[in-house]
Formats: sequence, structure tokens, C-alpha cells
Amino acid sequence: MVSLTTHVGSLELANPILSASGTFGHGLEMKHFVAPDCLGAWVSKTVTVVPREGNPAPRIRETEAGFLNSIGLENRGVAAYIAEVLPSLRSLKVPIITNIGGESLEAFVEAAELLSGFAEIAAFEVNLSCPNVDGGKLPFATDPHVAESIMASVRKVTDKPLFAKLSPNVSRISDMAKAVEAGGAHGITAVNTLLGMQVDWRSGRFGLATRMGGYSGTAIKPVALRCAYECVQAVEIPVIGCGGISTASDVLEFLAVGCSAIQVGTASFSDPGLLSHLAQDVANLLAENGVDQVQDIIGRVNQVPARA
Amino acid sequence: MAAPPPDATSQLAQVASIVPCGSDGVLLRVIPRTPFGPLNAGRFFMLRRADGVGPLIPRPFSIFKQEGDSIEFLIKVIGPGTQALAGAAIDSDLTLIGPLGNGWPEIAPEPVNIMLAGGIGSAPFYELIQSKLAKGAAPESLLMIYGAATRGFLYDLEAFEQLGVRVLSTTDDGSHGFHGNVLQCLEAEWAAGRVSESAQLMACGPEPMLKAVGRLAEERKLKAWLSLESYMGCGVGICNGCVVATRPDGELGSWPNAKCCVEGPVFANEAVRL
Ligand SMILES: Cc1cc2nc3c(=O)[nH]c(=O)nc-3n(C[C@H](O)[C@H](O)[C@H](O)COP(=O)(O)OP(=O)(O)OC[C@H]3O[C@@H](n4cnc5c(N)ncnc54)[C@H](O)[C@@H]3O)c2cc1C
Ligand SMILES: Cc1cc2nc3c(=O)[nH]c(=O)nc-3n(C[C@H](O)[C@H](O)[C@H](O)COP(=O)(O)O)c2cc1C
Ligand code: FES
Repeated sequence: MVSLTTHVGSLELANPILSASGTFGHGLEMKHFVAPDCLGAWVSKTVTVVPREGNPAPRIRETEAGFLNSIGLENRGVAAYIAEVLPSLRSLKVPIITNIGGESLEAFVEAAELLSGFAEIAAFEVNLSCPNVDGGKLPFATDPHVAESIMASVRKVTDKPLFAKLSPNVSRISDMAKAVEAGGAHGITAVNTLLGMQVDWRSGRFGLATRMGGYSGTAIKPVALRCAYECVQAVEIPVIGCGGISTASDVLEFLAVGCSAIQVGTASFSDPGLLSHLAQDVANLLAENGVDQVQDIIGRVNQVPARA
Repeated sequence: MAAPPPDATSQLAQVASIVPCGSDGVLLRVIPRTPFGPLNAGRFFMLRRADGVGPLIPRPFSIFKQEGDSIEFLIKVIGPGTQALAGAAIDSDLTLIGPLGNGWPEIAPEPVNIMLAGGIGSAPFYELIQSKLAKGAAPESLLMIYGAATRGFLYDLEAFEQLGVRVLSTTDDGSHGFHGNVLQCLEAEWAAGRVSESAQLMACGPEPMLKAVGRLAEERKLKAWLSLESYMGCGVGICNGCVVATRPDGELGSWPNAKCCVEGPVFANEAVRL
């Protein structure tokens, strides 16, 4: 039996596979396709204190090798999350990570304050990096000082583990990683979507109503892998890899660069049942290769001498 | 909280047959590994080739016919997703996600049920008519008006005509049936007194047609249900991509958006804003 157990800060996860925020519902909506214990942890769609209607349609477009979205963090707010979602998560064994967002530092803090008392929540993922608010300006994801102060302020109002979700749309992600570590993050999720665009030259129309949106899926895997690697190199806290992962081999690549766990997003749209067997696929692949614990793969690229 | 329908699965289905239909369509019949019991007409599945040929994201298609263990789709080939499906090999596997969505509501046979189909929008009506007849509806309580730009887009018209209810066909170019669109045909039927002016409408077709049906229903104070098409990412209610604008006073509640994939694709006319 291959051991898939992994640790992200103080969280022990039965396997390193998590759902990515915004691609797997707020609670356990996907349990018809994926039994709760198939995942190391379930990550909620971003919740904000103030309900958000989201952006106008069209909000999604498929492109040559990936997926563009401009959902705009549609959600019914923290109060509705507490009333309608949290009760359905009681007495679950698998950890729930609640992803929180906000339009200002105060809004992040308030979301964490309102949710901190709930035992159903194992940790917070702080979404510093949604490209679909404020016209893609990414106010919290590009300035290390802002990111650090958000993490530090949220840190003050909760004892739960905090993971900072970073954007790839920066010139040096290692600076952002160091900043959130200094702010008190227990871990980093790398990465959110890349800012992208689609146009139809015949009609002169943009694919998305907001013109720009977040690009995800297979196409972004090399970018995400590089970002995750740079974060691992820059900080001591654990890194959760995310971006373009759809196979067991993809999972192990992110672990090999030093990630402690990974998240799967867009690939669940190709097959909503993917995450019901991905952990088993990883175990099988490791077994075929004579590896008996997933821990042995984590950071492997640093253990192999560089090519001469 | 909108969740995927509890009976939805993600499974493989084997291609049993692919037959050309109309000028740019195919009839695609598949056998799911785990067969389904009778499914509500108007529900849909997301389909993608299991060999990965074609787009990453599955495409939504209405149930056209359900016979025994097989499910048949009527597909207009317009882009990479539909091309990949039309080109699948017999006996090859597709990923089949569903059944999804709500399907047509159960409505009384009186006043007359008028089904308005535009082009490929006819697909969800075949099983609807069949099931209404099977449940004992009188054939006179049902009327289908099936319109398209031209004869080649009246897909499998013969199958509808053989159902035993009155089917009127219309073409914009006059190449078949009534010369005009489905609403002009309906107005002509009303004017001639061949069908009751108090009616219940069900419509599926291109957006301009659905808008026109919505307006007409409002003007004449008729109940109408529209099967809407929206660009879908997941089909199961989790990506928030497929939203349709709702009316604040409508039955969907005060939230400004509804998810077409789980709260639809069939909406009451007075619940949505097109
Ligand atoms: C509930 C529902 C039921 C449908 N039933 C049928 C049916 O029975 N028969 C049929 O032929 N067609 C049906 N459609 C439409 C069908 O899904 C699209 O024609 C198909 O997705 C086109 O894909 P493509 O890759 O061939 O074309 P593309 O070149 O990708 O797109 C062509 C057009 O199709 C639309 N489209 C593309 N991708 C999607 C998507 N993921 N979701 C929705 N629309 C998309 C776009 O708006 C675009 O204008 C249905 C759509 C919905 C939402
Ligand atoms: C439709 C959609 C909605 C998303 N919503 C959120 C969100 O609410 N919060 C968030 O932090 N990330 C969100 N993301 C980003 C994903 O969590 C993930 O970081 C990104 O898609 C890259 O991973 P992938 O290539 O596996 O999809 C969303 C992505 C998609 C495609
Ligand atoms: S298609 Fe994803 S929510 Fe409807």
C-alpha cells in the first residue's frame, strides 16, 4: 500500500489532492461525483462578506488549450455561507478549507472574523489574486506590502491556518511569497489564473463581457509549475501547487518541485468524476514505479545533482 | 445552493450509430455503460470524446430520443466540439455527463400545448410529445410548429410528423411548408381560427426567436416556457459560467442570476430576462 499522507503546515491530509476554489462548489455539491474522502481537503469557492452578483455574461470561453473565465466572485456572502453551507459540512472527517476574498483589507479581516469561530472550517485560503474584480488590476496580488499587511491583519483575528493564494501575473512571484510568509501565512497556494483575453476578429467582439478574464487549464501548467517552484525556493512554509493539473503524472510533477499538495480546477469540468480516482491513480503510478510513499517525491528536483 | 442533479453520473457511453441528418446535422446514438431509467424530456447531457480528440470542455446536448438502453442526440455540426463528436468511430467511447438540468415542466393538456421549435431547437421536443401521448394526452391537445431558415435545417422532420400530432413546418425562404417564421405561422393559425388563442407555449430555438416568443406571451398573457441555451463550463452548477438574468419578482427569487445548467435549461418566461 502506497502512503499518500501529506502535511500542509499543521494539517494532515490523507492525500495531496485538493479541489481548486471556484471549480467545485461552496460545500459538498460535488459529492454525487466525488465521495468526500477521495480528496485530501475540499476548498470552497471564494466567499466575501458582501454578496457579489458577479460579472455579466458571457463569463466563460474555451480557447485553443485552456479556459477563460470572468465569473467575478459571484457568491451570496458570508452570512449565507454560514447559514446554508456550513451546516452541511458538520461531522465530516475530511478538512474543509474556506477561501475568503474581499475588496479591501477590512473586508478580508471581517470575513475571517465572521468565520473563525466555526469548527467545520479547518483553514482559510486567502484569495489575494482574483483577476476578475477591479478590472484585472489585482490590487492585492501585485504589491508585496499590501499582501503582507492583509495576511498580517487576518492573522490577528484567527488562529486557523492561513494559506495565501497568489497570482502568476507578477514579475517576481518569489517577492510575493516572501511577503505573505512575513505576514504570517502558514502556506501558499500557487497559482490563481493568468490574465487572458479572447476576441472574434470577424465581429470585432470580445469573447468575455469583461474583455479580460482568468486563463486556466492544461495550457497554464508549465507557468504554474514554475511559479510553484519559485515559491518553494523562496520560503519555508509549504506550497500547494495549482494550475493545469489533470493527471497523476501532473500531480507528481508539482510534488517533485517541492509542493506539499496540489489543487485541481478546470480539469473537473472535462470530467466531474476525475477527483474520485485521481488519488488512486497517483498511488498506482507510484506503486508501478516502486515508490511506497508520496513523501519521497516531494522536492525530488532538489535532491538530484544538476546536469553537468 | 444549486447542486448537480442527484441522478447525474459521469460515465463512458459507446457510440452505436452516427447517421447524417439534414444539411449539417447528425443523429448520434450512444449506449451508456450504466443505462438510465426514463428521463424527463428537455434534460441534457454534456458530451466529449473519451479519446480526448476535440475540445477540453464537454458540450451540452438535449436528449432527442431515449429507446431501451440507448440515448440519441440530434446534433448540428458547427464547430470543433460538434465536429469531433460527428467524427467519432462506431463502438468508440464518449464521456457522458448527466442527465442534467430540469427538463420541461408537467403542464395540463388544456389549454392547448403549442411547441415552437427553431432549427436544432427541435431536439428536446420529440420525447416531450412522446411522453405526453404516452400519459394519455389527446393528440389534438398538442401542436408543434417547427421552423428553420431553410428545409435542410428542419432536422428529422419526418420523425416528428410520424408522432401522430399536428406538426406545421415553416421556412424563412419558403423552401418547405409555411413561408415565414414560427410566430408568423402561429399568428396565421390563430387568425384562421384553427387553434385556440388561449394556449400554453413551449419554445426552444435561437435567441431572437425565444425573445419574440417571450414578448408575444407577455402581450397575450399566455403561459410560456423557454428552453435557453447558454455557454456552459461544467453543466453541473459549480462554475457559475452559464448564468441567465432573472426578474426580481419571478419564481427564481431575488438573486439576479440563475444557473442555466441546474435551474434550467427550461425557464418560465416570467422568471427570466433575455
Ligand atoms: C442545454 C443545451 C442543450 C443543447 N442541445 C443541443 C442539441 O440537442 N443539439 C445541438 O446541436 N446543439 C445543442 N446545444 C448547443 C450546443 O451545445 C452547441 O452548438 C455546441 O456546444 C457547439 O460546440 P462546437 O465546439 O461545435 O462549436 P463552437 O465553435 O465552440 O461554438 C459555436 C457556438 O456554440 C456555442 N457554444 C460553444 N461551446 C459551448 C458550450 N460549452 N456550451 C454552450 N454553448 C456553447 C457558442 O455560443 C458558439 O456561438 C445545446 C446547448 C445547451 C446549452
Ligand atoms: C470558473 C472558475 C472559477 C474560479 N473561481 C475562483 C474563486 O472563486 N476563487 C479563487 O481563489 N480561484 C478561483 N479560480 C481559480 C482556480 O481556483 C485555479 O486557481 C485556476 O483555475 C488554475 O487551476 P486549473 O488550471 O486547474 O483550473 C476559478 C477558476 C475557474 C476556471
Ligand atoms: S455550466 Fe457551470 S454552473 Fe452552469
